[in-house]
Amino acid sequence: MLLLPFIDRGPSERAMARYSERAWPDYPRFLEGVREHTKPGDTIAVIVPIMRWETGYSYAYYRASYFLTGREVLPLVTPDNGRLPQNFRAAKYIAVFGVGLRVPADVVWRGGRGALLRLRQR
Amino acid sequence: MTATLVAILSLTVFGVPIALAIDRRARGALLVGTAFLYGSGTMYLVLLMLSIAHIRWTLISVTTASLVIFCAAAFIARREATDSPSRTANAKPHLLDLPTLFTIVCYALYATLAKVWEWDFWAMWGLKARTFLEIGGIDWRFLESPWNTFAHPDYPLLVPLNYDFVALLNGGWNDRWLGLLGVAWAVALALVARSLAARETTPFFAALLTLLVAALGFSRYVGLAEGALIAFGGAGVLFIRAALLDGDDVSWRHGALMLGFAANCKNEGLALLVAVTIAVIASSWFSAPARLRKLTPAYVLAAPWLILRAAHTLPTDIASGSVASRLFARLPHAHQILAYLAEELSKPWFWVAILVGILIAPAAARRRERFVFLVTAIQLLFYVTAYLATPNNLQWHVLSSWSRLTTHIAVPITFAVFLMLANSLRGSQDALHAEARSDE
Repeated sequence: MLLLPFIDRGPSERAMARYSERAWPDYPRFLEGVREHTKPGDTIAVIVPIMRWETGYSYAYYRASYFLTGREVLPLVTPDNGRLPQNFRAAKYIAVFGVGLRVPADVVWRGGRGALLRLRQR
Repeated sequence: MTATLVAILSLTVFGVPIALAIDRRARGALLVGTAFLYGSGTMYLVLLMLSIAHIRWTLISVTTASLVIFCAAAFIARREATDSPSRTANAKPHLLDLPTLFTIVCYALYATLAKVWEWDFWAMWGLKARTFLEIGGIDWRFLESPWNTFAHPDYPLLVPLNYDFVALLNGGWNDRWLGLLGVAWAVALALVARSLAARETTPFFAALLTLLVAALGFSRYVGLAEGALIAFGGAGVLFIRAALLDGDDVSWRHGALMLGFAANCKNEGLALLVAVTIAVIASSWFSAPARLRKLTPAYVLAAPWLILRAAHTLPTDIASGSVASRLFARLPHAHQILAYLAEELSKPWFWVAILVGILIAPAAARRRERFVFLVTAIQLLFYVTAYLATPNNLQWHVLSSWSRLTTHIAVPITFAVFLMLANSLRGSQDALHAEARSDE
């Protein structure tokens, strides 16, 4: 830390800026897109390539909660990797990132590696 | 960056009459340090009270409420007697302040390398602040939701609400420069420590101690509540220490208020208040009732959040399930857990140095500092008990928190040990000089 005034801080700044998004660097941009296409009070469930809590879903869920404040983000996985299908049914939107999802749904918005879906047959 | 800097400056200006209402003699380092801390703590209370009164946070509502407090504090400060001599006259600048200044610059560069990057920032402290900003008040629905227990809804809100104040000034959420608030809390603590040290030792030693305190006050967990807790808790313990040593009512007031704000930073701050209470009783048994009465402001400040979190039944993870059964199940393995804590201790050589310092200091000096030793020991005991009772995986819990917890208690113990050694060294040097003078 004491060397910071004397070194080129560019690489450190870039590394720290990417620190939270080591696994999925484009995930925050996707979430910002989801935020732009939803309203406060909307319920949103998130589907990502890793649907296990410790190895990726907790990150995806927490990060979505941070970027989508004002909306209610519903988890689809419990900390002990149980499934929460009721949250899938209860969500107004499904934010799908990095995977495909074959369900009857309208695509509200598509951006980067993800899409925001609104399920049919509500 | 401008909004964060303006927020820090505003909080300091806001805190000046409050600091003077509490201590009319405060000047220089003490005034600036306490002013920021009181500004930050009072701004939390302003936002909390507006939220309770269902008044939406806007720049106008927050400024109006703050101005009322500002004027009331200025009125009280003007009425206070001014004939008491200043106790901060010795906090003069010293050449050793340059390395301290350099350390502050380095930490500021580190804390602002990028947007606040810590997991716990965007999963707890920053998340709550951003969520509350959406509705212009504390979002109880969010805190009560079973899906948000990961954000630790029971944690006190001083830090998130300070972030909200910055966001209000900024006109929206921006986490790019929030690390600067951590710098401000650490600098405020260093200024308070400098002022208190100057009462007891030479400018050289006071400046050297400030350098140490500044380095210890900088939390590497940028964006978390550690920085604020270290500042408020550290200042609180140091003021109570001063109050016990010289019986000064002003130090009692400062200490009690700082500890009250520490209790609003983290649950560990609440534990610190309990630790201080026990240590005050233990170190002054016969005068304990009178002294505990002087801690009343701390309990009053801690009460609102305790009541609110009970009223909203916000869960505390450590208290979930059967605490007693977990505690008793792990107690037989306490020695292994303690060994693991020793193994995982962050900066072990620092703690070895503290222990050696305590051992080599004169017995009279050790007795003088028994309050700080007691507080440190009791707080450590609380932390170990929390590990014994944790519902989480113990190894994970230790690895993810132990290094942070030890930073909470580092400043007061360092302050006490340093002064013990510095003053005993000074005493022996004075004795040598006296001997030489007598020979002449």
